[in-house]
Amino acid sequence: MIADEATLARLMAMAQNGDRQAYAALLAACSQWLMRFYRRRVAPHSCDDLVQETLMSLHQKLASYDPERPFLPWLAAIARYRWVDHLRKLYRADETGFDSEPIAASEEPAIAARISLAQLFQYLSPAQARAIELVKIEGLSVAQAAVACGQSESLVKVNIHRGLKKLAALIEKD
Amino acid sequence: MATTDDLIANLVDELRPVRRMRQAQGLWLIAAAIGLGVAVVLLSLGLRPDLAAGRLDPIFLMGSGSFLILGLAAAVTVVIMGRPQVGTDHRGWLWAAAMATVLPLAALITGIAAGPATALARSAPDHGLTCLLVGSALGLMPALLLVAWLRRGAPTSPERAGLITGVAAGCFGIFAVSLYCPYNDIMHIGLWHSLVVVTCAAAGRAVIPRLIRW
Repeated sequence: MIADEATLARLMAMAQNGDRQAYAALLAACSQWLMRFYRRRVAPHSCDDLVQETLMSLHQKLASYDPERPFLPWLAAIARYRWVDHLRKLYRADETGFDSEPIAASEEPAIAARISLAQLFQYLSPAQARAIELVKIEGLSVAQAAVACGQSESLVKVNIHRGLKKLAALIEKD
Repeated sequence: MATTDDLIANLVDELRPVRRMRQAQGLWLIAAAIGLGVAVVLLSLGLRPDLAAGRLDPIFLMGSGSFLILGLAAAVTVVIMGRPQVGTDHRGWLWAAAMATVLPLAALITGIAAGPATALARSAPDHGLTCLLVGSALGLMPALLLVAWLRRGAPTSPERAGLITGVAAGCFGIFAVSLYCPYNDIMHIGLWHSLVVVTCAAAGRAVIPRLIRW
């Protein structure tokens, strides 16, 4: 079960004061939340690595959370930043299968929908979103993606480049 | 890579109490950034004669006021960017930027009407170069303070944060210089003073992202 927003915010405030028990509970809850958050937007074999990278970023940036503000939108901003960074670094993934569970399902569906990764894709053009999904998430080569989506290889590259640039600028947008 | 459970155990072991980044700290940082520049100008170059005599020129007030407001808007945006949150809009400073654009536009229109030779003479290029150099140099201090804030925080758009930091730094730098610079002509303020902001913004966009990426 994923902890609710209020519980996570309280645990985070305690962790900022040095409470290790609260921090352990927070990180465990965050790892579950992140696993759901990233599912279907990252090749499955990369999901664990990305969750761990995000937990390390959370650890490094603990001071940037304000307990007077909601916790999940802060965590989502960190997670989106790591995700875009991951997509930028990624050239090819090996696996293409995906879990069919809904993305970022949680006890706060409205918040989850607002801060989800899928939400970011709606700001891309369909061609940009498709190119990124095929090459950066599903792990196809540029040539395979060009055949799959009916674009030329150079257009696929341009769409990936422009799409990632746009995503990077939209990380805190809801 | 270790398992997530191992990682969590290590991170928990490393936990120390942290000093939270509060909005008020960021606002004090901005006040310090402005105050430092003003203090350096007043102590090293002195106050412009008309201000010292208590006379306030409207062009000076509008020019300096526009740069100060744009600097404040940009610096507050930088402070907000240090503490990320999905749902935050970082575009508010653009309205202040649009307002400040009136200064170079007014200089351009005035310059076209007056002719190139007259416009250049009115812009006082010798002194303008001093304003450009001193204003940009003074922008370094606020830039360093804001970069330190961003390095503590978690800016999710380093490129944009670099650009906005540069805008804030340039505005605070030229605001401080304007307390010394005796020129009230719109040609001088619209060209040389605006150029400080553009220069610092370009430098901020080019240099700062690599300092704040995480």
